[in-house]
Amino acid sequence: MNIFDTAKQIAAPQDRPAETVLVAAALVWIGQAALIATVVARGVAESLEPEFVAVAAAALLALGLLRAGAERWASARLTDLAERHVGTLRDAIIEQELTRRASDAPASLASLVSEKLEMLRPAILRYGPARKRAMVVPLVLLVIAFSQSWVAGAILLVAGPLIPVFSALVGMAAQQASARQLDQMSTIGALLSERIGALIDIRLLGAESTVLKDFHEAADDLKSRTMAVLRIAFLTSTALELFAALGVAMMAVYVGFSLLGQLQFGTYGAPLSVWSGVFLLLLAPEFFAPLRDLSAAWHDRAAALAVAAEVVAWNDADAEHVLGGQGNAVKLHDKASIAIHALALRVGESIIRYPDVTVEAGQALAISGGSGAGKTTLLSAIAGLIPAHTGDIRVAGIVLAEETAQSWRTRLGWMPQSPHFVKASVLANVKLAAPEADTAQVEAALKSAGILEQIRRLPHGTNEMLGETGAGLSGGEARRLTLARALLAGADVLLVDEPTADLDEETAAAVRRTLLDLRAQGKLLVIATHDPALMTACDLQISPDPKEAC
Amino acid sequence: MTSLKRVLGICLQSARGAIWRGGALSILVLLAGVGLLALSGWFIAAAAAAGLAGTGLVFDVFKPSAGVRALALGRTASRYGERLLTHDATLKALVTLRLRLLQGLMAQPLRRLERARAAAALNRMIADVDALDGVTLRLFLPAVAGAITLVLSVLGLGLFAGWSLAAWVGALYGLGSLIIGRRFGPEALPAARRAERALQAVRARSNDAFAARADLTVYNAIDGQISLIGRASLALGQARMRRDSVERAAQFWVTVMVQTTVAGAMLLGFSSVSNGDLSTPLATLGVLASLALSETVMPLARGISEFGRIADSARRVMDDIPEHQIDPSQKVQAKPMIVPPLDLRRIRIEPLVDTLSLTVEAGEMVLLAGPSGVGKTTVLNVIAGLLPANGGEVCIGGHPLNDYSEEDFRGRLGYLPQRATVMDGTLMDSLRLGAADLSESEAWEVLEAVELTRFAQERDGLQTRLGSRGTALSGGERRRVALARLIAGRPPVILLDEPTEGLDEATATAVLRGIRNYLPQSAILISSHRFCDRALANRVITLR
Repeated sequence: MNIFDTAKQIAAPQDRPAETVLVAAALVWIGQAALIATVVARGVAESLEPEFVAVAAAALLALGLLRAGAERWASARLTDLAERHVGTLRDAIIEQELTRRASDAPASLASLVSEKLEMLRPAILRYGPARKRAMVVPLVLLVIAFSQSWVAGAILLVAGPLIPVFSALVGMAAQQASARQLDQMSTIGALLSERIGALIDIRLLGAESTVLKDFHEAADDLKSRTMAVLRIAFLTSTALELFAALGVAMMAVYVGFSLLGQLQFGTYGAPLSVWSGVFLLLLAPEFFAPLRDLSAAWHDRAAALAVAAEVVAWNDADAEHVLGGQGNAVKLHDKASIAIHALALRVGESIIRYPDVTVEAGQALAISGGSGAGKTTLLSAIAGLIPAHTGDIRVAGIVLAEETAQSWRTRLGWMPQSPHFVKASVLANVKLAAPEADTAQVEAALKSAGILEQIRRLPHGTNEMLGETGAGLSGGEARRLTLARALLAGADVLLVDEPTADLDEETAAAVRRTLLDLRAQGKLLVIATHDPALMTACDLQISPDPKEAC
Repeated sequence: MTSLKRVLGICLQSARGAIWRGGALSILVLLAGVGLLALSGWFIAAAAAAGLAGTGLVFDVFKPSAGVRALALGRTASRYGERLLTHDATLKALVTLRLRLLQGLMAQPLRRLERARAAAALNRMIADVDALDGVTLRLFLPAVAGAITLVLSVLGLGLFAGWSLAAWVGALYGLGSLIIGRRFGPEALPAARRAERALQAVRARSNDAFAARADLTVYNAIDGQISLIGRASLALGQARMRRDSVERAAQFWVTVMVQTTVAGAMLLGFSSVSNGDLSTPLATLGVLASLALSETVMPLARGISEFGRIADSARRVMDDIPEHQIDPSQKVQAKPMIVPPLDLRRIRIEPLVDTLSLTVEAGEMVLLAGPSGVGKTTVLNVIAGLLPANGGEVCIGGHPLNDYSEEDFRGRLGYLPQRATVMDGTLMDSLRLGAADLSESEAWEVLEAVELTRFAQERDGLQTRLGSRGTALSGGERRRVALARLIAGRPPVILLDEPTEGLDEATATAVLRGIRNYLPQSAILISSHRFCDRALANRVITLR
């Protein structure tokens, strides 16, 4: 994926035709300035014909309309470019991310592919063209100014000192201000996030006024610190403003005095003509305009670079991939069985070895061990989510590998310890694995999982919306919902992670019963647990060896 | 639109002086810009005329050239002042908005609060309020300052360069801006609204995909989720393209307006020159002034595009800020005070509880037992007024629940929910939430009651930081901090939902005993499935 190569490519893809047209549109002003200068010069010479004024005004308007049209065309192209670029990046990141094993911060990654990628658009629309204009337009105008009078050229050169130095100065200030602002945003975000997360608590405690008072103080404090930074940042952009205004003023004064005949230097031979004088005055503001545009777009640029850096960091992170991302799957037909042979799995910097074991359909295997011993890791490996470091896992008689993982997974039911539901109805979440299932089948699965009654009690029954962690359901209920999902999938192998943790004894007993009764239907169960009652009820039991450093 | 007006009202109110001074300075900036170019043009043309006529030596060069320099410096200085004043005023307004929003969020009915999604509320508080800085900076000030500058400049143009030229410039810029605003402004709003909705969908769906990826992979449902995200992403792209195309069209017409105005000004001005009605310097002044005045209309296109986003944010923010601020002092104090006993009379809550009667007298501790999912929390929620009962009556101090307003519950009915959240700040900050005027010695007593004395002593005492959402604490410590801030207010009636979760049995018993001793006269109702919590209870009622 070469689109992820460098931050610069991500932050500012370019469209040459559009940028060239925009530069040309800005240079149209030279022609317009020449027209105005001609009219004024003839006016001063008292040789102005009304017909000439009409023709000049029409030409001025025609050039102006040309400029408006060209700008519209070019910015339409840039909009398309931005849309393509952001869309491609988003699709590529999401697709590639989902072949990776896990992410520590799904929420911040979700914010990267949503609002942060959107921040690339203004940079493409504004910064790219502004940069091109700032590189070309002042230079062209400078050459023209020198061709008329070296003093005029020198005025522009002095007032708009070395353009790179200038831009860097502005850029530094803008970057400082925006970094500071980001910093401030995260602080105000943190302040607010705490309070909003605890709204109910605050309310139940009746502590509203205390909280408001504290927040007011903190927010005021942040405000004054932000203003202190802005004061400096504005000073730099004011300097730019000053140079631009002084440039125009100096040009006017020089031209005025030359035309009066009080200054007689700066030109090449003949004294400065009226036409040249007016023309030079009109060029001066346009000389500074691209620089101001650029500094206004600098903020967009800084934001885009920050986003691009985040994309690059994401791309560079070593990520393990799940097995079976590709097609051409080998079908598995045999009865379910799992055989673990000389298996070692790698977790970060350590290696976990597992004893050999074979489980057949209708049996339950307990994986025991303390927390962090590697129980969940083994479940993930059996699901083909992580590859074996050494040794192998044979499923239904064939080694679990890239080609077999996808097909193997169609037979799996999966009950994670802390389920994550997608933001959709109970029904949609249960039907995740069996989109074709009808209501009767779903209810049957809910009933076997022992949760139908609880779901019916929800305000909207099976249409109740679930939040991420199953809002509205207790921990035990959420876990039984994942059981219902596994049953509905028609899975003949169930991978179950800590099914009875944090449950009261009565509920735990019910969950144990439901699970172990599944053996009678020929299901194969692999259960990670530290519940002694569940362990002893299983047919087989293994525990991972202690971790080794690799 | 009404919400936009309300935001503007709040902004203008919270920093009245600064906004108006800033506005006056932005007018100065614009006028100085117009003046600089117009005066320069006049000066050059007049100097040229004088030079040609050979009267250059008697031409007064001092005033115009000093004027040009003064305008250049004045423009820069006013620009700096304007930026400082308007930004200061706007930041001040944002603080006020956030405060009002927080206040509004906290004043919602508790039942609505329970369902409120923290992420959405936070987004409103941060991103939406941030977007509102544009109400003054991008919409109100540029529009007002631009309009006033235009009127003043047109008057000036009329005096110097003739009323026909002045009328032309005023009519084109003034009416043109109004027409462009009317034509494109309303289109920006739906586009911004759609873009925001699609953006939220992209975020929520990709968050689901990233967080539930193991489940999705195992069930081969990844592709389905990807195409769901793709649909939202497509909608987002279309809405953004729409918004950009509105801005582009507006910008096009603004440019056309400027070019037409300048060309027309040249035609009018210099036709008068060729007729001999106007001098060349004054005609030049007119043309250059019409050119410089384009600065007043340039923010229009960007403003239209931002208008959609700002109005959309304003609507969401203002939905949560009540129209009229509630003045607590005006509230009539309801007659009865919350006091024990707590009395449940044949409560029925469908479908969980058939009928439940119980009484908790002052000084009593009653335990509600039963397996999870049986309705213990629901009963507590009914007592706290968060849920309605289907039958029966809850009485506190002999009065039915309906006689009390939420205001009466404040500090009198203590409720520890199952998922109590601890906020960042110090231990003392947390305790002060329960009792604003808590003294340090009282604070230590409270900590002693919940067995946190040693914890506090080993750290920084009352100044111990709790970390975001209490992450600097273990689960058990977090639970006890929540208990501590609850009992700090000494509420006479207390509801505790699984108060000892995460505590070992010895600590659990000690904490309940500490609470009992700290508040000997309170009526305490506890819901718990733990056996050890029964030790101190006067009565145990098991729900089935």
